[in-house]
Amino acid sequence: MKIALAQVAPALGDVDRNLALHLRTIAKARRLGADLVVFPELSLTGYALKDLVEETALDPRTSPVFRALKADSRSVDLVVGFVEESPRARGLIYNAAAYLSRGAIRHVHRKVALPTYGMFEEGKFFARGGEAETFAARRLRTGLLICRDFLQTGIGYLLQAGGAELIVAVSAAPGRGSTPEQAFASSRMWERMGESLSFFASAFVVYCNRVGFEDGVPFAGGSFLFAPDGRLLGRSPYLDEDLLVREIRPDDVRRARRRMHFHKEDRPEVVLEGLRRIIQSHDD
Amino acid sequence: MTINAPFVEKVLTAFLRQELSRFGFRNGILGLSGGLDSAVAAALAVRAVGPSHVIALIMPYGSGFPKDLRDARALAAKLGVRTELIDIAPQVDAYFARFPTRSPRRRGNKMARERMSVLYDFSERTEALIIGTSNKTELLIGYGTIHGDMACAFNPLGDLYKTQVRALGRHLGLPAAILRKTPTPGLWPGQTDEAEIGLNYAELDRILYHLVDLRESRREVVARGFARRKVERVADMMRRSEFKRRMPPIAKLSFRTVGHDFLYPYDRGC
Repeated sequence: MKIALAQVAPALGDVDRNLALHLRTIAKARRLGADLVVFPELSLTGYALKDLVEETALDPRTSPVFRALKADSRSVDLVVGFVEESPRARGLIYNAAAYLSRGAIRHVHRKVALPTYGMFEEGKFFARGGEAETFAARRLRTGLLICRDFLQTGIGYLLQAGGAELIVAVSAAPGRGSTPEQAFASSRMWERMGESLSFFASAFVVYCNRVGFEDGVPFAGGSFLFAPDGRLLGRSPYLDEDLLVREIRPDDVRRARRRMHFHKEDRPEVVLEGLRRIIQSHDD
Repeated sequence: MTINAPFVEKVLTAFLRQELSRFGFRNGILGLSGGLDSAVAAALAVRAVGPSHVIALIMPYGSGFPKDLRDARALAAKLGVRTELIDIAPQVDAYFARFPTRSPRRRGNKMARERMSVLYDFSERTEALIIGTSNKTELLIGYGTIHGDMACAFNPLGDLYKTQVRALGRHLGLPAAILRKTPTPGLWPGQTDEAEIGLNYAELDRILYHLVDLRESRREVVARGFARRKVERVADMMRRSEFKRRMPPIAKLSFRTVGHDFLYPYDRGC
């Protein structure tokens, strides 16, 4: 199974231009034999939208943009980022990612952890998602995370406990902080967390970050794939556009879980009981 | 505080390339003073989009600073950018003939705003966006003229302290005459930044780095061995200059007010 990570620079607030970018990139990835193409967080809209969230919001079930993407997903699976407003939650707008396969939307994940501090303002403009679930896709049980979701152990754990064999994290992560290497300090954090999660979950962890600038903020790129045993399968350059294609062997999940029994020995019921006690004993 | 200069160059040239292609523009324009900051900004812009897309205005006041004028021209020639030499003395003198003053501050601010006004006119004439040259040190302590040298379309240097700008300038191979020059606003002969601010840049930048980047309290910074008087002074300069870093407040009346809850990104459609 071949996964392509589309490290692109979407245009801010211009959905039509971004759809064209998606279709071009999908065609290219297909020529390279990809079975799944992953785009970054909010890939159809750009990230720092502020009040543009209202103008870029889509209902994936009826939007013409999604009609075009669904058509493409007949031959290759897709993960795309978008702003969602569905009729079932009128007035609520989500930072969402969709998994498309065989001409249909297989799953929509709504971002749970919305960073709202310092340079981040997501909680001002987006409603919070409340779930992180796995679903069957191709040959692997799959789960989606959006950016900050991935940095919260609890949310990653839900996918782990849900049996995820492939964790797809899409991101619009700014580069911040200097290091002696030719990279941002924040990129190192992402790589360490990706590697850790691949061990914890004995799952493939793929991370697609964007590049380009919005209002002076650089997005760091550095998309990567880890095998279920923490092996780095590939990493895109920092800051530059890229289309990274890597072959993964779904059987590696089974091999990793036979070598290290993290998955078998996980005790979600103990976690659940512990969390219930902690929540009940909260003073506030 | 040490920067990885090649990486910073890569980030800032990518930033300049994107900003300079906005809204159908192709060119960047900036004032070249003969000092360090504008030299670094010009060198970055040339690396980003090539010398044919960078225009440097050299805007001395009369002939009071021959060395700066020489250094600015030499740098422009080295970088291969288009230059225009515009003496701002006639327009500044015309104004002060009507409203005389002995205040060097008023004269200095006026000169900075004359240069701004020339830059904005040339921005339109040459279809070029104005590249800002204010560094992080100046922005944080407010050592600049509002609507003067702080005015620009975008700023590649605003997150680099003065000492970091110098390190970047060294990496970019700027001439020693510019790298070693004592920083000055160039408003009157003998004026220097460090004498006016009352601190040298090495110390000022470190105090700012601890207060701002590391989010330490004044007390913690003093405990690191910096003089209390200096730390207090830097913190006060930061507090008093907030107006230079913000859009002016708008009195709110409606449900949707510019700046309060009418919020759009700068880079829409980019």
